[in-house]
Amino acid sequence: MIAAQGLSRAFGGRTVVDAVSFEVNRSEIVALLGPNGAGKTTTMRMLAGLVKPTRGSVHVLGVELTRATGPDLRARIGFLTESPGLWDRLTVRENLRVYASIYGIADADRVIARALDLFELTPHGLARAAELSKGMRQKVALARALLHEPPVLLLDEPTSGLDPEIARSVRALLRERRAAGCAILVSTHNLDEAERVADRVAVLHGRLVAIDRPAALRQRLMTGRVVVRLAGDPAPHLPIVRRFDAAPEVDGASLTLSLPRAEQEVPALVRALAAAGAGIVEVRHEMPALEDVYLRLLGEDRGRPAS
Amino acid sequence: MKKYRVRALVGKELREVSRNLAVLLPVGIVTMVALVLPFVVAMGIPAITGHPLGDDRDLVNVSGAIPGPGYLAGEARVQYFLFQQFLLVFLLMPITGAMALAAHAVVGEKQARTLEPLLATPVTTAELLVAKVLGALAPTLGIALPGLVLYFAGIAALAEPGVLRAMLVPRTLLMIGLLGPAAALVSLQAAIVVSSRVNDARTAQQFGVLLILPLTVVLIAQFTGSLWLTTAQLALIGLGLLALWAALTLVSVVLFERETILTRWR
Repeated sequence: MIAAQGLSRAFGGRTVVDAVSFEVNRSEIVALLGPNGAGKTTTMRMLAGLVKPTRGSVHVLGVELTRATGPDLRARIGFLTESPGLWDRLTVRENLRVYASIYGIADADRVIARALDLFELTPHGLARAAELSKGMRQKVALARALLHEPPVLLLDEPTSGLDPEIARSVRALLRERRAAGCAILVSTHNLDEAERVADRVAVLHGRLVAIDRPAALRQRLMTGRVVVRLAGDPAPHLPIVRRFDAAPEVDGASLTLSLPRAEQEVPALVRALAAAGAGIVEVRHEMPALEDVYLRLLGEDRGRPAS
Repeated sequence: MKKYRVRALVGKELREVSRNLAVLLPVGIVTMVALVLPFVVAMGIPAITGHPLGDDRDLVNVSGAIPGPGYLAGEARVQYFLFQQFLLVFLLMPITGAMALAAHAVVGEKQARTLEPLLATPVTTAELLVAKVLGALAPTLGIALPGLVLYFAGIAALAEPGVLRAMLVPRTLLMIGLLGPAAALVSLQAAIVVSSRVNDARTAQQFGVLLILPLTVVLIAQFTGSLWLTTAQLALIGLGLLALWAALTLVSVVLFERETILTRWR
Protein backbone atom coordinates (compact mmCIF):
# COMPACT_ATOMS: atom_id res chain seq x y z
CA MET A 1 0.00 0.00 0.00
CA ILE A 2 2.82 2.42 0.87
CA ALA A 3 6.45 1.75 0.16
CA ALA A 4 9.65 3.69 0.77
CA GLN A 5 12.56 2.69 -1.40
CA GLY A 6 16.03 3.96 -0.54
CA LEU A 7 14.53 7.10 0.90
CA SER A 8 17.12 9.71 1.83
CA ARG A 9 16.89 13.32 2.75
CA ALA A 10 19.62 15.81 3.47
CA PHE A 11 19.17 19.37 4.73
CA GLY A 12 22.21 21.41 3.79
CA GLY A 13 25.06 18.96 4.25
CA ARG A 14 23.34 16.98 6.99
CA THR A 15 21.68 13.70 6.14
CA VAL A 16 18.57 13.32 8.25
CA VAL A 17 17.17 10.18 6.64
CA ASP A 18 19.54 7.75 5.01
CA ALA A 19 18.50 5.05 2.53
CA VAL A 20 15.38 3.96 4.35
CA SER A 21 13.33 1.20 2.73
CA PHE A 22 10.23 -0.43 4.10
CA GLU A 23 6.65 -1.17 3.22
CA VAL A 24 3.40 -0.93 5.07
CA ASN A 25 0.99 -3.45 3.67
CA ARG A 26 -2.76 -3.58 3.54
CA SER A 27 -4.27 -4.39 6.95
CA GLU A 28 -1.00 -3.72 8.72
CA ILE A 29 0.13 -1.30 11.40
CA VAL A 30 3.81 -0.42 11.49
CA ALA A 31 5.18 1.64 14.36
CA LEU A 32 8.05 3.97 13.57
CA LEU A 33 10.24 4.26 16.65
CA GLY A 34 13.21 6.50 17.12
CA PRO A 35 14.70 9.14 19.39
CA ASN A 36 14.22 12.86 18.79
CA GLY A 37 15.95 13.88 15.57
CA ALA A 38 15.95 10.33 14.22
CA GLY A 39 14.12 11.47 11.08
CA LYS A 40 10.66 10.17 11.92
CA THR A 41 8.78 13.35 11.02
CA THR A 42 10.88 13.89 7.89
CA THR A 43 10.15 10.31 6.83
CA MET A 44 6.43 10.84 7.46
CA ARG A 45 6.50 14.07 5.47
CA MET A 46 8.27 12.38 2.57
CA LEU A 47 5.67 9.62 2.59
CA ALA A 48 2.91 12.25 2.57
CA GLY A 49 4.53 14.09 -0.34
CA LEU A 50 5.24 17.20 1.70
CA VAL A 51 9.02 16.90 1.55
CA LYS A 52 10.86 15.71 -1.51
CA PRO A 53 13.42 12.95 -0.97
CA THR A 54 17.01 13.74 -1.93
CA ARG A 55 17.21 10.16 -3.17
CA GLY A 56 14.79 7.26 -3.36
CA SER A 57 11.10 7.07 -4.01
CA VAL A 58 7.73 6.61 -2.39
CA HIS A 59 4.95 4.50 -3.86
CA VAL A 60 1.41 4.85 -2.58
CA LEU A 61 -1.11 2.24 -3.72
CA GLY A 62 1.33 1.23 -6.42
CA VAL A 63 1.74 4.75 -7.85
CA GLU A 64 4.98 6.68 -7.49
CA LEU A 65 4.53 9.85 -5.51
CA THR A 66 5.65 12.76 -7.69
CA ARG A 67 4.74 16.40 -8.09
CA ALA A 68 2.17 15.37 -10.71
CA THR A 69 0.61 12.49 -8.78
CA GLY A 70 0.89 14.20 -5.38
CA PRO A 71 -2.53 15.89 -5.20
CA ASP A 72 -4.42 12.73 -6.21
CA LEU A 73 -2.42 10.49 -3.90
CA ARG A 74 -2.77 12.91 -0.99
CA ALA A 75 -6.52 12.42 -1.32
CA ARG A 76 -5.91 8.76 -0.45
CA ILE A 77 -3.74 9.50 2.58
CA GLY A 78 -4.86 10.56 6.02
CA PHE A 79 -2.00 12.46 7.67
CA LEU A 80 -1.99 13.39 11.32
CA THR A 81 0.65 16.02 11.77
CA GLU A 82 2.82 16.48 14.83
CA SER A 83 0.72 19.47 15.90
CA PRO A 84 -3.10 19.30 15.59
CA GLY A 85 -3.10 22.48 13.47
CA LEU A 86 -6.71 23.50 14.02
CA TRP A 87 -8.06 26.90 13.07
CA ASP A 88 -8.68 28.33 16.51
CA ARG A 89 -11.43 30.75 15.54
CA LEU A 90 -13.48 28.05 13.84
CA THR A 91 -15.64 25.57 15.68
CA VAL A 92 -14.85 21.87 15.69
CA ARG A 93 -17.58 21.27 13.12
CA GLU A 94 -16.34 24.12 10.93
CA ASN A 95 -12.78 22.80 11.05
CA LEU A 96 -13.98 19.41 9.86
CA ARG A 97 -16.36 20.97 7.34
CA VAL A 98 -13.51 22.78 5.55
CA TYR A 99 -11.59 19.53 5.17
CA ALA A 100 -14.73 17.64 4.11
CA SER A 101 -15.22 20.23 1.37
CA ILE A 102 -11.57 20.04 0.32
CA TYR A 103 -11.85 16.27 -0.02
CA GLY A 104 -15.12 16.71 -1.92
CA ILE A 105 -16.99 14.50 0.52
CA ALA A 106 -20.62 14.12 -0.46
CA ASP A 107 -23.06 14.13 2.45
CA ALA A 108 -20.53 15.97 4.59
CA ASP A 109 -22.99 16.54 7.44
CA ARG A 110 -23.47 12.83 8.00
CA VAL A 111 -19.75 12.09 7.72
CA ILE A 112 -18.86 14.86 10.16
CA ALA A 113 -21.57 13.74 12.60
CA ARG A 114 -20.21 10.19 12.46
CA ALA A 115 -16.62 11.39 13.04
CA LEU A 116 -17.72 13.50 16.00
CA ASP A 117 -19.61 10.57 17.41
CA LEU A 118 -16.67 8.21 16.93
CA PHE A 119 -14.37 10.44 18.97
CA GLU A 120 -17.06 11.43 21.46
CA LEU A 121 -16.79 15.00 20.27
CA THR A 122 -20.47 15.59 19.51
CA PRO A 123 -21.06 17.75 22.60
CA HIS A 124 -18.09 19.91 21.55
CA GLY A 125 -19.07 20.30 17.91
CA LEU A 126 -19.98 23.96 18.31
CA ALA A 127 -17.03 24.84 20.53
CA ARG A 128 -14.26 26.88 19.00
CA ALA A 129 -11.01 24.98 18.61
CA ALA A 130 -9.26 27.53 20.84
CA GLU A 131 -11.46 26.45 23.74
CA LEU A 132 -10.47 22.78 23.54
CA SER A 133 -8.00 20.94 25.75
CA LYS A 134 -4.86 19.47 24.20
CA GLY A 135 -6.39 16.00 24.18
CA MET A 136 -9.58 17.25 22.54
CA ARG A 137 -7.58 19.04 19.86
CA GLN A 138 -5.70 15.86 19.16
CA LYS A 139 -8.99 13.98 18.81
CA VAL A 140 -10.33 16.55 16.35
CA ALA A 141 -7.10 16.27 14.35
CA LEU A 142 -7.49 12.50 14.30
CA ALA A 143 -11.12 12.81 13.21
CA ARG A 144 -9.92 15.12 10.43
CA ALA A 145 -7.28 12.62 9.27
CA LEU A 146 -9.90 9.86 9.07
CA LEU A 147 -12.71 11.97 7.64
CA HIS A 148 -12.28 10.87 4.03
CA GLU A 149 -11.73 7.21 4.97
CA PRO A 150 -8.27 7.01 3.42
CA PRO A 151 -6.73 3.59 2.72
CA VAL A 152 -3.36 4.87 3.96
CA LEU A 153 -2.88 6.50 7.35
CA LEU A 154 0.27 8.30 8.45
CA LEU A 155 -0.05 9.24 12.09
CA ASP A 156 2.60 11.27 13.87
CA GLU A 157 2.27 10.62 17.61
CA PRO A 158 -1.48 9.90 17.52
CA THR A 159 -1.93 9.40 21.27
CA SER A 160 0.27 12.31 22.31
CA GLY A 161 -1.55 14.34 24.96
CA LEU A 162 -4.43 11.91 25.26
CA ASP A 163 -5.50 10.46 28.59
CA PRO A 164 -5.12 6.67 28.94
CA GLU A 165 -8.79 5.99 28.31
CA ILE A 166 -8.90 7.98 25.09
CA ALA A 167 -5.50 6.62 24.03
CA ARG A 168 -6.94 3.16 24.41
CA SER A 169 -9.95 4.04 22.27
CA VAL A 170 -7.59 5.45 19.63
CA ARG A 171 -5.64 2.19 19.60
CA ALA A 172 -8.94 0.32 19.24
CA LEU A 173 -9.81 2.58 16.34
CA LEU A 174 -6.48 1.88 14.66
CA ARG A 175 -7.12 -1.86 14.96
CA GLU A 176 -10.55 -1.29 13.47
CA ARG A 177 -9.08 0.63 10.53
CA ARG A 178 -6.50 -2.12 10.10
CA ALA A 179 -9.33 -4.68 9.98
CA ALA A 180 -10.98 -2.50 7.33
CA GLY A 181 -7.85 -2.89 5.17
CA CYS A 182 -5.92 0.30 5.93
CA ALA A 183 -2.15 0.49 5.83
CA ILE A 184 -1.15 2.44 8.93
CA LEU A 185 2.20 3.94 9.85
CA VAL A 186 2.36 5.29 13.39
CA SER A 187 5.26 7.37 14.60
CA THR A 188 5.67 7.14 18.35
CA HIS A 189 8.03 7.43 21.28
CA ASN A 190 5.79 5.17 23.27
CA LEU A 191 7.26 1.67 23.20
CA ASP A 192 4.35 0.23 25.09
CA GLU A 193 1.97 1.62 22.51
CA ALA A 194 4.11 0.28 19.66
CA GLU A 195 4.02 -3.16 21.23
CA ARG A 196 0.28 -3.04 21.84
CA VAL A 197 -0.82 -1.84 18.46
CA ALA A 198 1.82 -2.58 15.83
CA ASP A 199 2.24 -5.66 13.71
CA ARG A 200 5.79 -4.59 13.01
CA VAL A 201 8.13 -2.09 14.56
CA ALA A 202 10.63 -0.05 12.56
CA VAL A 203 13.49 1.44 14.55
CA LEU A 204 14.76 4.56 12.84
CA HIS A 205 17.96 6.36 13.68
CA GLY A 206 18.63 8.29 10.50
CA ARG A 207 18.83 4.90 8.86
CA LEU A 208 16.50 2.00 9.40
CA VAL A 209 18.14 0.09 12.23
CA ALA A 210 15.63 -2.76 12.33
CA ILE A 211 12.14 -3.63 11.22
CA ASP A 212 10.37 -6.72 12.43
CA ARG A 213 7.55 -8.04 14.59
CA PRO A 214 7.93 -6.94 18.23
CA ALA A 215 8.33 -10.54 19.35
CA ALA A 216 10.99 -11.16 16.72
CA LEU A 217 12.87 -8.06 17.82
CA ARG A 218 12.79 -9.26 21.40
CA GLN A 219 14.02 -12.63 20.25
CA ARG A 220 17.19 -10.90 19.07
CA LEU A 221 18.07 -10.09 22.67
CA MET A 222 17.24 -13.50 24.00
CA THR A 223 20.08 -14.29 26.38
CA GLY A 224 19.29 -17.91 27.03
CA ARG A 225 17.98 -17.09 30.47
CA VAL A 226 15.27 -19.45 31.61
CA VAL A 227 12.99 -19.03 34.63
CA VAL A 228 11.82 -22.16 36.42
CA ARG A 229 9.20 -21.80 39.13
CA LEU A 230 8.76 -24.74 41.46
CA ALA A 231 5.99 -25.62 43.89
CA GLY A 232 7.56 -25.24 47.33
CA ASP A 233 11.16 -24.76 48.44
CA PRO A 234 13.63 -25.18 45.56
CA ALA A 235 16.64 -25.86 47.88
CA PRO A 236 16.42 -29.71 47.71
CA HIS A 237 16.60 -29.53 43.93
CA LEU A 238 19.50 -27.12 43.62
CA PRO A 239 22.10 -29.86 43.07
CA ILE A 240 20.20 -30.96 39.96
CA VAL A 241 19.86 -27.39 38.75
CA ARG A 242 23.59 -26.74 39.26
CA ARG A 243 24.36 -29.51 36.75
CA PHE A 244 22.94 -27.19 34.14
CA ASP A 245 23.99 -23.80 35.57
CA ALA A 246 26.59 -23.64 38.29
CA ALA A 247 25.23 -20.35 39.69
CA PRO A 248 21.48 -20.12 39.32
CA GLU A 249 19.69 -17.07 40.74
CA VAL A 250 17.21 -18.03 43.43
CA ASP A 251 14.25 -15.80 44.19
CA GLY A 252 11.73 -17.54 46.43
CA ALA A 253 10.39 -20.48 44.48
CA SER A 254 11.82 -19.17 41.20
CA LEU A 255 15.17 -20.12 39.75
CA THR A 256 16.76 -18.24 36.88
CA LEU A 257 19.34 -20.17 34.88
CA SER A 258 21.63 -19.16 32.06
CA LEU A 259 21.35 -21.87 29.44
CA PRO A 260 23.32 -21.05 26.30
CA ARG A 261 21.84 -24.10 24.53
CA ALA A 262 18.34 -23.73 25.93
CA GLU A 263 16.66 -25.74 23.17
CA GLN A 264 18.51 -28.88 24.25
CA GLU A 265 19.05 -28.13 27.92
CA VAL A 266 15.53 -27.14 29.00
CA PRO A 267 13.90 -30.52 28.19
CA ALA A 268 16.72 -32.32 29.98
CA LEU A 269 16.39 -30.03 33.02
CA VAL A 270 12.62 -30.55 33.18
CA ARG A 271 13.02 -34.33 32.93
CA ALA A 272 15.65 -34.36 35.69
CA LEU A 273 13.57 -32.16 38.02
CA ALA A 274 10.42 -34.22 37.39
CA ALA A 275 12.32 -37.45 38.03
CA ALA A 276 13.52 -36.00 41.36
CA GLY A 277 9.90 -35.29 42.30
CA ALA A 278 9.99 -31.52 41.90
CA GLY A 279 6.65 -29.84 41.31
CA ILE A 280 7.22 -27.66 38.24
CA VAL A 281 4.76 -24.79 38.07
CA GLU A 282 6.27 -22.84 35.16
CA VAL A 283 9.20 -22.87 32.76
CA ARG A 284 9.71 -19.88 30.50
CA HIS A 285 12.32 -17.94 28.60
CA GLU A 286 13.08 -14.57 30.13
CA MET A 287 11.95 -12.17 27.41
CA PRO A 288 13.60 -8.78 27.16
CA ALA A 289 11.24 -5.79 27.08
CA LEU A 290 10.89 -3.99 23.75
CA GLU A 291 12.49 -1.02 25.47
CA ASP A 292 15.63 -3.09 26.11
CA VAL A 293 15.70 -4.14 22.48
CA TYR A 294 15.17 -0.58 21.32
CA LEU A 295 17.93 0.84 23.50
CA ARG A 296 20.28 -1.94 22.52
CA LEU A 297 19.64 -1.40 18.82
CA LEU A 298 20.18 2.33 19.12
CA GLY A 299 23.31 1.76 21.17
CA GLU A 300 24.67 -0.55 18.49
CA ASP A 301 23.79 1.91 15.76
CA ARG A 302 25.50 4.79 17.56
CA GLY A 303 28.61 2.66 17.69
CA ARG A 304 28.56 2.12 13.94
CA PRO A 305 30.67 4.31 11.70
CA ALA A 306 28.64 6.81 9.67
CA SER A 307 27.97 5.69 6.10
CA MET B 1 -7.91 24.11 -10.23
CA LYS B 2 -10.96 22.74 -8.38
CA LYS B 3 -13.51 25.44 -7.62
CA TYR B 4 -14.98 23.55 -4.66
CA ARG B 5 -11.62 23.52 -2.92
CA VAL B 6 -11.08 27.24 -3.52
CA ARG B 7 -14.64 27.88 -2.30
CA ALA B 8 -13.99 25.86 0.86
CA LEU B 9 -10.81 27.80 1.63
CA VAL B 10 -12.34 31.20 0.88
CA GLY B 11 -15.25 30.27 3.15
CA LYS B 12 -12.75 29.41 5.86
CA GLU B 13 -10.97 32.74 5.43
CA LEU B 14 -14.24 34.67 5.63
CA ARG B 15 -15.36 32.78 8.72
CA GLU B 16 -12.07 33.54 10.42
CA VAL B 17 -12.37 37.23 9.54
CA SER B 18 -15.97 37.31 10.76
CA ARG B 19 -14.76 36.02 14.15
CA ASN B 20 -12.08 38.68 14.34
CA LEU B 21 -13.63 41.83 12.91
CA ALA B 22 -10.84 43.94 14.39
CA VAL B 23 -8.64 42.93 11.44
CA LEU B 24 -11.05 44.83 9.18
CA LEU B 25 -10.71 48.01 11.21
CA PRO B 26 -7.89 49.42 9.04
CA VAL B 27 -9.95 48.78 5.89
CA GLY B 28 -12.97 50.39 7.54
CA ILE B 29 -11.05 53.43 8.73
CA VAL B 30 -9.33 53.99 5.39
CA THR B 31 -12.65 53.59 3.57
CA MET B 32 -14.27 56.06 5.93
CA VAL B 33 -11.48 58.60 5.39
CA ALA B 34 -11.68 58.11 1.61
CA LEU B 35 -15.43 58.58 1.81
CA VAL B 36 -15.44 61.71 3.96
CA LEU B 37 -12.38 63.46 2.51
CA PRO B 38 -13.86 64.41 -0.90
CA PHE B 39 -16.90 65.95 0.76
CA VAL B 40 -14.72 67.87 3.19
CA VAL B 41 -12.63 69.21 0.31
CA ALA B 42 -15.52 69.84 -2.12
CA MET B 43 -18.11 71.18 0.34
CA GLY B 44 -16.71 71.49 3.86
CA ILE B 45 -13.73 73.74 3.22
CA PRO B 46 -15.63 76.18 0.92
CA ALA B 47 -18.41 76.34 3.53
CA ILE B 48 -15.96 77.02 6.35
CA THR B 49 -13.81 79.56 4.46
CA GLY B 50 -16.67 81.18 2.59
CA HIS B 51 -14.75 80.87 -0.66
CA PRO B 52 -16.46 78.68 -3.30
CA LEU B 53 -14.20 76.33 -5.26
CA GLY B 54 -15.11 78.17 -8.45
CA ASP B 55 -13.23 81.23 -7.08
CA ASP B 56 -9.92 79.37 -7.10
CA ARG B 57 -8.37 80.13 -10.47
CA ASP B 58 -5.80 77.30 -10.30
CA LEU B 59 -8.44 74.74 -9.43
CA VAL B 60 -10.71 75.93 -12.20
CA ASN B 61 -7.81 75.68 -14.68
CA VAL B 62 -6.90 72.16 -13.52
CA SER B 63 -10.49 70.98 -13.61
CA GLY B 64 -10.88 72.44 -17.09
CA ALA B 65 -7.94 70.39 -18.28
CA ILE B 66 -9.88 67.15 -18.01
CA PRO B 67 -12.73 66.23 -20.32
CA GLY B 68 -16.17 66.79 -18.89
CA PRO B 69 -19.75 67.38 -19.95
CA GLY B 70 -20.49 70.80 -21.36
CA TYR B 71 -23.46 71.37 -19.11
CA LEU B 72 -21.23 71.70 -16.04
CA ALA B 73 -19.60 75.01 -15.25
CA GLY B 74 -18.03 76.87 -12.33
CA GLU B 75 -18.54 75.25 -8.96
CA ALA B 76 -20.20 72.12 -10.44
CA ARG B 77 -17.32 71.62 -12.84
CA VAL B 78 -14.72 71.75 -10.04
CA GLN B 79 -16.83 69.41 -7.92
CA TYR B 80 -17.07 66.98 -10.83
CA PHE B 81 -13.28 67.09 -11.20
CA LEU B 82 -12.74 66.42 -7.50
CA PHE B 83 -15.28 63.61 -7.23
CA GLN B 84 -13.89 61.90 -10.35
CA GLN B 85 -10.34 62.08 -9.02
CA PHE B 86 -11.33 61.03 -5.53
CA LEU B 87 -13.22 58.06 -6.98
CA LEU B 88 -9.95 56.42 -7.93
CA VAL B 89 -8.56 57.32 -4.53
CA PHE B 90 -11.64 55.77 -3.01
CA LEU B 91 -11.16 52.57 -4.99
CA LEU B 92 -7.48 52.23 -4.20
CA MET B 93 -7.32 53.32 -0.57
CA PRO B 94 -9.12 50.29 0.97
CA ILE B 95 -6.51 48.06 -0.64
CA THR B 96 -3.93 49.52 1.70
CA GLY B 97 -5.92 48.20 4.65
CA ALA B 98 -6.46 44.80 3.05
CA MET B 99 -2.72 44.45 2.49
CA ALA B 100 -2.22 43.68 6.16
CA LEU B 101 -4.79 40.92 5.87
CA ALA B 102 -3.09 39.41 2.83
CA ALA B 103 0.43 39.86 4.16
CA HIS B 104 -0.54 37.81 7.22
CA ALA B 105 -2.29 35.12 5.19
CA VAL B 106 0.42 32.47 4.69
CA VAL B 107 2.81 33.38 7.48
CA GLY B 108 -0.13 33.45 9.88
CA GLU B 109 -1.10 29.88 8.93
CA LYS B 110 2.48 28.81 9.39
CA GLN B 111 2.76 30.38 12.81
CA ALA B 112 -0.51 28.81 13.92
CA ARG B 113 0.83 25.49 12.57
CA THR B 114 -2.31 25.04 10.48
CA LEU B 115 -0.48 24.97 7.16
CA GLU B 116 0.97 21.46 7.30
CA PRO B 117 -2.35 19.59 7.61
CA LEU B 118 -3.67 21.73 4.78
CA LEU B 119 -0.70 20.99 2.54
CA ALA B 120 -1.18 17.29 3.25
CA THR B 121 -4.53 17.43 1.45
CA PRO B 122 -5.06 17.49 -2.33
CA VAL B 123 -5.14 21.31 -2.23
CA THR B 124 -2.73 22.68 -4.83
CA THR B 125 -0.54 25.70 -4.24
CA ALA B 126 -2.49 27.70 -6.84
CA GLU B 127 -5.80 26.89 -5.15
CA LEU B 128 -4.41 27.87 -1.77
CA LEU B 129 -2.96 31.17 -2.95
CA VAL B 130 -5.98 32.18 -5.02
CA ALA B 131 -8.19 31.42 -2.03
CA LYS B 132 -5.96 33.57 0.16
CA VAL B 133 -6.24 36.50 -2.24
CA LEU B 134 -9.99 36.14 -2.62
CA GLY B 135 -10.29 35.73 1.14
CA ALA B 136 -8.66 39.14 1.60
CA LEU B 137 -10.44 40.75 -1.35
CA ALA B 138 -13.98 39.73 -0.43
CA PRO B 139 -14.18 41.50 2.95
CA THR B 140 -12.44 44.53 1.43
CA LEU B 141 -15.07 44.75 -1.28
CA GLY B 142 -17.71 44.05 1.34
CA ILE B 143 -16.71 47.28 3.04
CA ALA B 144 -15.79 49.29 -0.05
CA LEU B 145 -19.02 48.63 -1.99
CA PRO B 146 -21.42 50.01 0.66
CA GLY B 147 -18.95 52.89 0.95
CA LEU B 148 -19.28 53.42 -2.78
CA VAL B 149 -23.05 53.54 -2.51
CA LEU B 150 -22.68 56.16 0.23
CA TYR B 151 -20.20 58.08 -1.97
CA PHE B 152 -22.72 58.41 -4.78
CA ALA B 153 -25.59 59.01 -2.37
CA GLY B 154 -23.53 61.84 -0.87
CA ILE B 155 -22.88 63.32 -4.31
CA ALA B 156 -26.60 63.08 -5.12
CA ALA B 157 -27.52 64.78 -1.86
CA LEU B 158 -24.79 67.39 -1.45
CA ALA B 159 -23.14 68.17 -4.80
CA GLU B 160 -24.24 70.77 -7.35
CA PRO B 161 -27.03 69.68 -9.72
CA GLY B 162 -25.74 67.67 -12.69
CA VAL B 163 -22.57 66.38 -10.96
CA LEU B 164 -24.06 62.94 -10.22
CA ARG B 165 -25.39 62.62 -13.77
CA ALA B 166 -21.95 63.52 -15.13
CA MET B 167 -20.38 60.89 -12.91
CA LEU B 168 -22.64 58.07 -14.06
CA VAL B 169 -20.80 57.27 -17.27
CA PRO B 170 -19.03 54.15 -18.63
CA ARG B 171 -15.68 55.48 -17.40
CA THR B 172 -16.93 55.44 -13.81
CA LEU B 173 -18.39 51.95 -14.18
CA LEU B 174 -15.09 50.76 -15.61
CA MET B 175 -13.22 52.17 -12.64
CA ILE B 176 -15.58 50.52 -10.20
CA GLY B 177 -16.08 47.22 -11.99
CA LEU B 178 -12.64 46.60 -13.45
CA LEU B 179 -9.87 48.92 -12.37
CA GLY B 180 -10.52 48.87 -8.62
CA PRO B 181 -10.89 45.10 -8.26
CA ALA B 182 -8.00 44.42 -10.68
CA ALA B 183 -5.69 46.76 -8.76
CA ALA B 184 -6.78 45.07 -5.55
CA LEU B 185 -6.06 41.62 -6.96
CA VAL B 186 -2.57 42.62 -8.05
CA SER B 187 -1.73 44.28 -4.75
CA LEU B 188 -3.09 41.44 -2.65
CA GLN B 189 -1.39 38.80 -4.77
CA ALA B 190 1.89 40.66 -4.33
CA ALA B 191 1.28 40.73 -0.58
CA ILE B 192 0.65 36.96 -0.68
CA VAL B 193 4.00 36.47 -2.43
CA VAL B 194 5.64 38.43 0.36
CA SER B 195 3.73 36.44 2.97
CA SER B 196 4.93 33.15 1.55
CA ARG B 197 8.57 34.28 1.49
CA VAL B 198 9.07 35.73 4.95
CA ASN B 199 9.29 34.09 8.32
CA ASP B 200 7.11 36.26 10.50
CA ALA B 201 4.04 38.41 10.24
CA ARG B 202 5.80 41.67 11.16
CA THR B 203 8.23 41.36 8.25
CA ALA B 204 5.33 40.53 5.95
CA GLN B 205 3.53 43.70 7.00
CA GLN B 206 6.66 45.83 6.58
CA PHE B 207 7.02 44.59 3.01
CA GLY B 208 3.28 44.98 2.52
CA VAL B 209 3.63 48.68 3.30
CA LEU B 210 6.27 48.99 0.55
CA LEU B 211 3.79 47.61 -1.95
CA ILE B 212 1.56 50.58 -1.27
CA LEU B 213 4.17 52.97 -2.76
CA PRO B 214 3.07 52.55 -6.41
CA LEU B 215 -0.49 53.29 -5.35
CA THR B 216 0.71 56.43 -3.59
CA VAL B 217 2.31 57.65 -6.84
CA VAL B 218 -1.03 57.23 -8.61
CA LEU B 219 -2.79 59.12 -5.84
CA ILE B 220 -0.34 62.03 -5.99
CA ALA B 221 -0.74 62.25 -9.77
CA GLN B 222 -4.49 62.35 -9.21
CA PHE B 223 -4.30 65.27 -6.83
CA THR B 224 -2.12 67.34 -9.12
CA GLY B 225 -4.48 66.78 -12.01
CA SER B 226 -1.56 65.56 -14.11
CA LEU B 227 -3.15 62.16 -14.57
CA TRP B 228 -6.34 61.81 -16.52
CA LEU B 229 -7.05 58.45 -18.03
CA THR B 230 -9.56 58.06 -20.81
CA THR B 231 -12.12 55.27 -20.81
CA ALA B 232 -10.05 53.29 -23.31
CA GLN B 233 -6.87 53.79 -21.28
CA LEU B 234 -8.68 52.69 -18.14
CA ALA B 235 -9.96 49.57 -19.87
CA LEU B 236 -6.46 48.76 -21.11
CA ILE B 237 -4.95 49.32 -17.70
CA GLY B 238 -7.68 47.20 -16.11
CA LEU B 239 -7.03 44.32 -18.50
CA GLY B 240 -3.30 44.78 -18.05
CA LEU B 241 -3.73 44.54 -14.30
CA LEU B 242 -5.75 41.34 -14.68
CA ALA B 243 -2.98 39.90 -16.86
CA LEU B 244 -0.45 41.03 -14.28
CA TRP B 245 -2.50 39.31 -11.57
CA ALA B 246 -2.49 36.07 -13.55
CA ALA B 247 1.28 36.37 -14.02
CA LEU B 248 1.77 37.18 -10.33
CA THR B 249 -0.33 34.17 -9.41
CA LEU B 250 1.98 31.97 -11.45
CA VAL B 251 5.02 33.63 -9.90
CA SER B 252 3.60 33.19 -6.41
CA VAL B 253 2.96 29.48 -7.10
CA VAL B 254 6.58 29.08 -8.20
CA LEU B 255 7.91 31.03 -5.24
CA PHE B 256 5.74 29.17 -2.74
CA GLU B 257 8.12 26.48 -1.56
CA ARG B 258 5.97 24.09 0.45
CA GLU B 259 8.98 22.20 1.70
CA THR B 260 10.96 25.24 2.82
CA ILE B 261 7.93 26.64 4.58
CA LEU B 262 7.45 23.40 6.50
CA THR B 263 11.04 22.59 7.30
CA ARG B 264 12.84 25.88 7.73
CA TRP B 265 10.29 28.27 9.16
CA ARG B 266 10.18 28.22 12.93
